[in-house]
Amino acid sequence: MQARSARAVINSSASHVFDVLRFICTWPVPLGVTEISRQLKLPASTVYRALITLEEADYIRRYRNTPRFELAPTPHLLNRALFSRFELHHASRPLMRSLAQATGETVSLWARLGWFALRIGGAFGSRDVYHRARLGETRLLHEGAAASVILAELSEADLASYRRFVDKHFPERRPDAGWDAQAQDLRLVRTRGFATIPLPMAPGFDAVAIPIRNESGHPVASIMLDGPVLRSGEAELDPCALQARDDLEVMIALDPAAFLSPFAHIPADGLLIRTPSTSDTETGGSG
Amino acid sequence: MNSATEETGDRRQNKATARILAVLSVFASDAAGYGVTELSNQLGMTKNMVYRALTTLVDQGYLVRDPTGQRYQLGFRVLELQNENTSEPDFRELCSPYVDKVFQLTGESVSLMVRAGDYAVFIDGVETRRPGTYRTQIGALRPLYANASGRVMLAFSSDEEIDEYILRNSPMTLPASDRELAPGALWTQLHEIRQLGYARMLRPGALPMLAIAFPIWDMDRRLHGVLSTGGPNERLAVEIDHLMPKLLATIDELCHRTQLYAADTQQWEML
Repeated sequence: MQARSARAVINSSASHVFDVLRFICTWPVPLGVTEISRQLKLPASTVYRALITLEEADYIRRYRNTPRFELAPTPHLLNRALFSRFELHHASRPLMRSLAQATGETVSLWARLGWFALRIGGAFGSRDVYHRARLGETRLLHEGAAASVILAELSEADLASYRRFVDKHFPERRPDAGWDAQAQDLRLVRTRGFATIPLPMAPGFDAVAIPIRNESGHPVASIMLDGPVLRSGEAELDPCALQARDDLEVMIALDPAAFLSPFAHIPADGLLIRTPSTSDTETGGSG
Repeated sequence: MNSATEETGDRRQNKATARILAVLSVFASDAAGYGVTELSNQLGMTKNMVYRALTTLVDQGYLVRDPTGQRYQLGFRVLELQNENTSEPDFRELCSPYVDKVFQLTGESVSLMVRAGDYAVFIDGVETRRPGTYRTQIGALRPLYANASGRVMLAFSSDEEIDEYILRNSPMTLPASDRELAPGALWTQLHEIRQLGYARMLRPGALPMLAIAFPIWDMDRRLHGVLSTGGPNERLAVEIDHLMPKLLATIDELCHRTQLYAADTQQWEML
């Protein structure tokens, strides 16, 4: 009994440390003890101890010798290590580079991870202006073109499960126009075979996402061309993008086991990832 | 509970939490997964301690058991440990703790260099306070043929690139001696470096200096840069053989991290 309660105490201490770390991850500027203590409603002494433990373990560091803290390299490395477990991360690299060179646009590869899409690869375009996209960005499947083009390819049963998942865990992130309007958008995307999203900084132009399917026709990933690549309303995609999609689908069909998600053995409802909703150029909707 | 007991309790909790973070940090590498025994050996913790840390990390979602249930792998909740406003660590930042580790091991100066055209440039380093030392000047350039780090950079280039380099840079005059380095002598050393996997170079003179330089690889097995250490041969030669296994293990650990990234020369790739 005593041993069990000691373990519970240790877990609660670790739990505070991870609460503090996750909170630092969500905040746009470096944070000090007082701010974290107020936001998390934890005693300042608990927060202080957590910060020291995290700093000593190289998870956070002091920001420019101030008493405020920001992420240190270790969490970045953990994420990198996670991406390296996706075969698509490695296998898609030459294709992404060629596509970026051929189109001049920044391109990204998004992998399906349960009810989420995760940016696991990409290459910057050759133009002077590009989108500062970062690996590791995670979105719910209805958030943005790259994710929703995957959602559009799911079966009706999967779509129903997905809506239940969002309603239960992320009610604040449900589509503004509601699920019915979302379903109509998805049907359009499925018919066209790609999703578009208007680019606020390039009026009249869209960014484009194309789904990648496995040998059974299930969506496993998507390619996103972030640039202004398509005049709004156009229906023809760049042949280079379609070629990249075909090449990736052939690669996956040749070795399906290798391209399985590292979390394929966990049911989609069990993969709960609480990252902040996106603040990128793409802000939702499936076009 | 009196304050002394509370303090002991806090300290115990902090140590346990520090162990949990240390176990998680091991997974920041390109290895596929780890078992309890492997982690226990690597971290010098008892299997019981490692098991308790693993249980907490699985509870928190930062680790998952692999499909066999025998090994542990990174969990999807690691994705929550990102901040879009903090930039990824660069090569110098990744190497910085290992520059310190190598310095602690050898007590001799340590430098980190990257290639810039036909030169090697210092980007980080520590200088020993002992008498007789290599200089580490951040930003200083050295011809590739002139020191152990530069020669490692050459050794892991293609034969054609090396021939072209020699043509461009001959005669190769060695600093501080005005002696010329013959292309044949350079090639012999480069072959030795390729065979050994690192450079071990003795510079003769009034104060013979020994330098050891290790290649640091990226995810495509291309060179990110070179980490080297060195000092007077009389001092270092005695210790180096028994230090080598520890140095190689340290460099191996560093490469497991740098291999998660593409070298900065591939600027078009998302980093």
